[in-house]
Amino acid sequence: MKRALIVALREVRTYLQDKADLAFSLLLPIVTFALIYGAFGGSELFHGTAYIVNEDVNGTYTEKLIEQIGQEKSLDVELLSRTDAESKLERSDLNIVLFIPAGFSDKLNTNQPAELTFLQRGNGGQEGQIVASIIRGVVSKLNQEFSVLDQTKQILTGKGIATEQIAITTQKFLEREQEYPLIEVKEVAIGSKPNMVNQFLPGIITMYVLFAINIGTAAIVEERRRGTLERLLTTHLSPSELFFGKFMASALRGFIQTFILLALSYAVFHIFTPLSFLECLLIAFLFTMACSTIGLVIASLSRTQDAATWIGVTFTMAMTIFGGTFFTISKGSALYTLSKLSINTYANNAFKTLIAEGGHISDLGLEIGVIAGVTIVGLVISRFFFKAVSKGK
Amino acid sequence: MGEAFLAVKDIYKSFNGQKAVNGVSFTIDKGEIFGLLGPNGAGKTTVIRILSTVLAADTGDATVGGYSLRKNPAEVRDLVGVCPQDLALYEDLSALDNLIFFGQLEGLNGREAKAQAMSHLALMGLTERAKGKISKFSGGMKRRINLAIALMGNSKLLFLDEPTVGIDPQSRNNIFETIRGLRDKGMTILYTTHYMEEADRLCDRIAIMDGGKFVALDTPQGLKRQIGDPDKVTLEDVFLKLTGRSLRD
Repeated sequence: MKRALIVALREVRTYLQDKADLAFSLLLPIVTFALIYGAFGGSELFHGTAYIVNEDVNGTYTEKLIEQIGQEKSLDVELLSRTDAESKLERSDLNIVLFIPAGFSDKLNTNQPAELTFLQRGNGGQEGQIVASIIRGVVSKLNQEFSVLDQTKQILTGKGIATEQIAITTQKFLEREQEYPLIEVKEVAIGSKPNMVNQFLPGIITMYVLFAINIGTAAIVEERRRGTLERLLTTHLSPSELFFGKFMASALRGFIQTFILLALSYAVFHIFTPLSFLECLLIAFLFTMACSTIGLVIASLSRTQDAATWIGVTFTMAMTIFGGTFFTISKGSALYTLSKLSINTYANNAFKTLIAEGGHISDLGLEIGVIAGVTIVGLVISRFFFKAVSKGK
Repeated sequence: MGEAFLAVKDIYKSFNGQKAVNGVSFTIDKGEIFGLLGPNGAGKTTVIRILSTVLAADTGDATVGGYSLRKNPAEVRDLVGVCPQDLALYEDLSALDNLIFFGQLEGLNGREAKAQAMSHLALMGLTERAKGKISKFSGGMKRRINLAIALMGNSKLLFLDEPTVGIDPQSRNNIFETIRGLRDKGMTILYTTHYMEEADRLCDRIAIMDGGKFVALDTPQGLKRQIGDPDKVTLEDVFLKLTGRSLRD
């Protein structure tokens, strides 16, 4: 144990002495935090773009429709040619486009039913569905206006009132209705505003801690490349002590970085209570230990730095995708089944419980069990596969 | 013959069916400098790896100071120091920190490790550079630190695997003097090199190895006598005669 500590202290000392490495590793969480803040610290309202192909050029009702869509606070309007729109849809640059056909206004002028079409990839994506829903609202309002105007015209025709006068008066009634609607929908806020940081921070912390895998991997691979691994094993240091020392050092280093990220979030976003902050630190430490052992397993299986890097990156990506780090995985899907194999799933759940759901460490029996289990199994497996020299220790 | 400190008995080692060490037996007396020569791939480094307990021999055994490699590897590690062929140093640490680190892993406490490190740095003429980072050292200085690390702890048997590769005459001379000084203090040394004149100057006995086997073992004079007048032939002549002139990988 003493020799394992000596190895761990040497690693930490090297980490602290290398100014460039130290600055980079301390700046990384700060930069990550700045990105989170930039992404979620400002406006939390939806804002999207309505992409429109207008083939009804100079159509009275088309201009009115586009103008009303443009007046929606949550939408920008971008007009495209049909060719551009189809090309962008083909390349998945866009997911949904509103198509206004030629003769749209003429049909409405002659009281014929007119049609608008959404051209979309699949279901149009989440943002596309919201944009389409807002446009449907605008179209629905226009439909009502047409309907009221049409019915008013039918009732008043032949009663000595000029058609233009009917249109102007009806329009005034409609505008007053919009200003003072008969049915008003109010918003009453209960509790704090929806917080995107709460939703996304758990995934970001999880992904961040996952970097410890690469620190753990590098700790062994670099030792092998430098030639010191074999030399270490000619001393009294046993391979198990070497492993434990490397494990402690990479877990500590990964934890220092995660601590900075969590502390900044605590100070700026105010999403923790002192207790939930400490509970998050504990989960982060457990998860860092698990990731360090995964790094050691990868190092034990890799002969070269390149192999270790590729395995590490592939593993990190797979865990992030299967772990639902940035999106919700639907129950019953194949991905849901796979997600049970990702350690990220359990870490995400743990952080979400503590950060977003107000839960406590006592609610996290399964998550802590899985993370601790991975740590222990990882240490055993990495030691089993580890060979300092071919067919040697 | 003196007292055998290292006794190697019939060791074999194969890698993927290729015999790297093919039945090697020899002894080294206490306080003797034993040269191990051979072309590339002859099996010299594999022998050192086996004797330093990093590799296990397929068959055979050796004793160091009476301890068996197979039965008492921890005691063997306590007695041996290894200076590997490639520099095995932490470039981001100072010379002193490198020595202290390895000293602590050899079982010394902090104070003992520091005292021994300073003593070895003085031996290598590097006291003034004790706190300098290894990354700033010249090749010769690194070689001397590589050797100094092998001396940390309570080593009684040193394995020096080509310790003078690629360094200037001054550093090489310093290493020679150090090795002789260590021998005078009773250190037993197994020394491998490709520099024949080095082996001739330093070693009490020399084994020439090829294809995993010893092809000759004698004093430098005795080896030279095998092919002619020892005052006229060189060790290189003997080496080429015994191992051939074909190029090795």
